[in-house]
Amino acid sequence: MQQRFHRPVAVLAGVVLATTGLAACGPSITSGDSTPAGSSSATATTDPDELASPDESTVSGEVTIWDREGDLFKVFDATIAAFNKKYPNIKVNHVAVDIDAKLQNTLISGTDVPDGVFLDDAKVAGFADHLWKLDDVMEPYLGDIAQQKKDVNTLDGSVYGVPFDSDPGLLYYNAKALEDAGIDATTIATYDDLLAAAKAYQAKVPGSKPIHLEQSPFLGQLQLEMYASQLGTSIADEKGQLRLDSPEYQQILTWLDTVQKEGLGTRAEYLSPSDIKPLDSGKEVFYPWSIWFDFAPQQLLPKTKGDWRAMPLPAWKEGGARSGAMGGSSFVLPKEGKNSQAAWLFYKFLMFDQAGYSAVWGTSSVYPDGLNTSIPSYTPAADPAKPLFGPVEALGGQDLWKVATEAGSEIPGGAPIPTWWAGAVDYLGNNVQKMLDGKLTPQQVIDQSTDDIQKNLVDRQ
Amino acid sequence: MSTIAAEPRTRPSAAAPGRRSHRTPSRRRLAPYVFVLPFIALFVAFSVYPMLFTLQLSFTNWRGSGSAQWVGWDNYTYLLTNPAFWQSLGNSAVMWLLIVPVQMLLALLVAILLDNAKTRMRAFYRVAFLVPFVTPLVAIAQIWVVVFDQDYGVVNSVLNAVGLPDVGWLTTSAWAKPTLALLFLWKTTGFIVIILLSGLQSIDPAVYEASSIDGATRFRQLRSITLPLVRRTLVFAVVLQTLAIFQMFAEPFVVTQGGPYSSTTTAGLYLYNHITRADLGTGAANSFLLVIVVMALSLGFVRLLRSED
Amino acid sequence: MTRRLPGASTQVFLVLLTLAFLAPVVWALLSALKPANQIISSPLAFDPATFTFENYKRMFADVPIGRGFFNTAVVLLFKGGLTLFFAPLAAYGFAKYEFRFKGLLFGTVLITLMLPTIVLIIPLLLEMKELGWVNTYQALVLPGAVDAFAIFWMRQVIAAVPDELLDAARVDGCSEFGIFWRIVLPVIRPALAGLAVLTVMNIYNDFVWPVVIASTDRMATLQVVLSTLAQNISGNRIGADYATVTGELLAAASVALIPLLVVFIVLQKHFINGILAGSVKG
Repeated sequence: MQQRFHRPVAVLAGVVLATTGLAACGPSITSGDSTPAGSSSATATTDPDELASPDESTVSGEVTIWDREGDLFKVFDATIAAFNKKYPNIKVNHVAVDIDAKLQNTLISGTDVPDGVFLDDAKVAGFADHLWKLDDVMEPYLGDIAQQKKDVNTLDGSVYGVPFDSDPGLLYYNAKALEDAGIDATTIATYDDLLAAAKAYQAKVPGSKPIHLEQSPFLGQLQLEMYASQLGTSIADEKGQLRLDSPEYQQILTWLDTVQKEGLGTRAEYLSPSDIKPLDSGKEVFYPWSIWFDFAPQQLLPKTKGDWRAMPLPAWKEGGARSGAMGGSSFVLPKEGKNSQAAWLFYKFLMFDQAGYSAVWGTSSVYPDGLNTSIPSYTPAADPAKPLFGPVEALGGQDLWKVATEAGSEIPGGAPIPTWWAGAVDYLGNNVQKMLDGKLTPQQVIDQSTDDIQKNLVDRQ
Repeated sequence: MSTIAAEPRTRPSAAAPGRRSHRTPSRRRLAPYVFVLPFIALFVAFSVYPMLFTLQLSFTNWRGSGSAQWVGWDNYTYLLTNPAFWQSLGNSAVMWLLIVPVQMLLALLVAILLDNAKTRMRAFYRVAFLVPFVTPLVAIAQIWVVVFDQDYGVVNSVLNAVGLPDVGWLTTSAWAKPTLALLFLWKTTGFIVIILLSGLQSIDPAVYEASSIDGATRFRQLRSITLPLVRRTLVFAVVLQTLAIFQMFAEPFVVTQGGPYSSTTTAGLYLYNHITRADLGTGAANSFLLVIVVMALSLGFVRLLRSED
Repeated sequence: MTRRLPGASTQVFLVLLTLAFLAPVVWALLSALKPANQIISSPLAFDPATFTFENYKRMFADVPIGRGFFNTAVVLLFKGGLTLFFAPLAAYGFAKYEFRFKGLLFGTVLITLMLPTIVLIIPLLLEMKELGWVNTYQALVLPGAVDAFAIFWMRQVIAAVPDELLDAARVDGCSEFGIFWRIVLPVIRPALAGLAVLTVMNIYNDFVWPVVIASTDRMATLQVVLSTLAQNISGNRIGADYATVTGELLAAASVALIPLLVVFIVLQKHFINGILAGSVKG
C-alpha cells in the first residue's frame, strides 16, 4: 500500500513543527554555558549576588514565606501579627510547603519562587547558587551569632542563610532509674565516665542496655557529626575536602564500637517501638542526642515521664567542649524572589528583634510553655539567665533553657555542610551501621567511606 | 453480533466485497490519523519532548543551576561500572521474583472466583481488594514498621509464641526485601485482579457451555479453556508489573529509606536519589539504562509466555 | 453451566484474604480516632474509651482538604474523560489500521511507558514554565491525559476483536467512526470497565507530578495535600510534632478514602454492572 496521503501527513507534520517550535523557546542545554533566567531586584553593591540593605521606610508589598507544615508553621504564623505591628506595609503570605520536595524544582524552573524559605542547614550549601549573599545585611549581627551556625551557612567566605535555631547535643538520662541503681549521672564528665556509668548500671539492672545506639543510617550519621562537632571537626572542611581520616573520628568510632562490643547499647531506630519500650522501662537510660529529643519524654514515654533530665554531653577529653550541633535550620532568600528585601526584614525581626524571638520561643497558643525543642542561635537571645521557654515538666521541671544555652555556647566552630552530605549516608552511614553489627572495624569504616565518598560524590561534583 | 442500521451516508464507490480495489476509500485511509491524532498531539507535546530533553541531559553533568557541560558517555560509563547501580538492578530483580509469580497466581485465583456468578458478594470483594491501592502509602508505612518491628512487632510476637526467635524483618538485608515485597504485593494485587478479571470476562460463556455439555469438569475447563484464553491478559499484567517494580521508589523510600545496607535500594529508588541530589545528568542516563533493561525483560516475557496470536 | 467450585471453602478463602487486605486500612481508620501520642507510643492498643476526634478537628482546621477534594474531582473528570474517550479510539487506530509511522509511534509509546516518570519531571516543568502553565488545571490534566498505559492495554484488547466483524460493518455502509462506536466498544466492554476503574485510581493516586506542578493550596490535589502533611514523618527526620502530624495524616487519609469508596461502590452498581450486563455475549 504505497499510497501517499498529503493531508494527514501535513497534519502530522504540523503537530511536530508546533511542538518543536515550543522546544525552541524552551530551555536549551548547550555544551557551553547556560545560566538560568537572570536575577531580580538590582542591588547597588558591586557584587550582584549580595542583597542590598533595604530602606525600611519604603519597603512594602507582599512577601511569600515558605515553611514546613506542622506545629512550627503555626508558631511562625502567630508571629506575623507582631511583625506587622512594626512593619504594617508588608503583607506576609505564609505558605506550608513540602520544602524537600518542592524547593529544588521551583528554583530550577524559576517559577513562583518564594521570597524566603526555611531550610535544613545540611541543604544550604547545595542551593547557594540560587541564593542571595547576606553579608551586608547581616553585618551588624554576625558578631553575636553562634560560631557554628555562622560557619554552617558560610560558603567561600559569604553567608547564605539567616541562622534560625541552634540544636545543641545533650545527654538525656533517666535520673530516677539511675538513682535507684545508686548512680549519680551528674558526675559524668567524659565519654569514658559514661561507659563506666553504663557498666555499673548494667550490673545493677540485668538485661539493660543503657546507651542508645542509632540504627538508622541517616540519623546515625547525623549523630556521628554531633560527636565530631564537639571535637571541632566534620566530614568535610570548608573547601569540601574529606577529613574523616583523623584521630577525632578514630576516637569517636572506637568509642561507639566499644559500647557495642561490651553489650552496653540498645540498638534501635530513633523512637521506633524497639526504642520506646526500653526507654520507658528503664532498660535504656542514656540518650546522647540533640535537644529535640525532649519531645519524647513529653509525649511518647508515659511511664517514665518526669524521670528524665538533660545535661551537657560528656567531653571527649578532659576539659573539652560539652556539646556539638546536631541538626538545625536556617532561612534562605532565593535570588529570584520578587520581594527579597521584605523577606529579609521578616527574618531580621524574627531572629534579632526581641519581640520576634520571644514570640517564636516563648509562650504561644501552640506551645503554652514555649518552644523547647531548640534554642536561638543569636546569643543575646540565648541568655541562660533569661529563659524564653518555661521549665519542662516532663524533665521534672528542669530548667532546660539554662542547660541548653550553656551547652550551646560551648559548641566549637564548624564548616559548611557539603552538598553531597545526604548521599554520603549510603557510604558512611551504612558503614557505621556495619561496624555496629560487628562487621567492620573503625579504621575500615574510615578507609572505605573515604574511598567511596571521594570516588562517587566528591569527584563527581 | 447485532446488526447495524445502515448509516445515511454516501456509499464508497469502490470496494465490492471480495475484490480489492486500488482505491481504498479515502475515508478509510484518513480514519486512523484522525483517531490517533488527539493522543499523538498530547503525546508529542508532553511525553516525547521531555524525553528528548532528558536524553540530551544524560550526556551532560547538569546540576539544576549554572552551566551544563557536555560529558559524552561519562554518565553511562560511571553507572555501568558502579557496583551500586548493578546492586539496584539486582534488588529490583529479586523483588520481581518475590512478587510477580505469587501475585499472578493469587490474582488469577481471585479473579476466577470473582468471575463466577455463584460467588456471593462479588461486588464487595472487588472494592475491598482495591482499597489498599488507594490508601496513602505514608499512612500504611507506619503500621508496617510497627508490625514488623524486630523486638516488639506483632509478627515476632507470634513467632515467639511458637518458640521461634525474633527476625529482623526490616533491619536485616536478608529479610527487608521480602517484607517490602509483601507491602507491594498487598498494595497492587487488587489492580492486577481487575485487569485479569476483565480478561476473564471477555471469554465467551458459550465455550464453557459447550465443554460442559461434553462432560468436562470445572478443573478441566480451567486448564483447557480459561488459562489459554487469559494468557494474553496475563502476559500484559506481567509486563505491567515488571515496569512497576523496576520503577518502584515510594515504598522503599518511605519504609526503609533504601536500607538496610542498600538492600532495598531498588532501581527506581537509586534513580530517585540521583534526581533529589540534583545529579540530573546521571539521573537521566540512569533512566535510559533502565528503559533498556525493562524493554529487554518485557520482550523476553512476551516471547516466552505467548503462544502464536 | 455446572460450575460447582464456589462453596464454603471459596467463601472462607475470600473472607480471610479480604481481612488480610483490609486489616492495615482498618488500623489506619481506627488509629485516627486515638489521641495522637498513643498512636506512636502504643500503636496496637485500642481503647474505645479514649477515642477522640481531636485529630479530625486539627486536620480540618489546618489542612485544605476540601480544596484537595475539589481539585482531584476536577482532574478525575477531565483527565479521566479524555483518557476513557481518546485512548480506546487511538488504540483502535493502532490495532486495526495500517498507516505511516505506525510502528515508530507505537514503539515510542512503549518507550515512554518504560521511562520512569520521575526523570521527566524537570523537563516537563521547564516546558510548563515556558507555557505559563505552572499551577494551572491544564498542567494537571493534559500531560499524560491520554495515558500510554491505557493505549497499550486497549490496543491489546481491540486487536483480539475479529476483523470479520469490522469488515461486515463496512460492507453494511458503516462509517469508520461508526464501526468503532457501534461494534468495537460494545465488544470490549469488560476491558473498558476495567480501564475506567484503573484510570480513576491512577489519577487519584498520582502525586509525583501534581506535587511539582500544583502545590499551592488553591491547586493542590488530595495526594499533594496528604504528602505535604507527611513530610514531617519521613523516615529520615522525625519532627518534634511527629505525633500530632501522624494523627492528622491518618485522619486525612480516612477522610480521603471514604468518598472514593462511595464512588467505587456507585461505579460498581450502576456503571460497571451496567456495562458488564450489556456485554452478555450473544
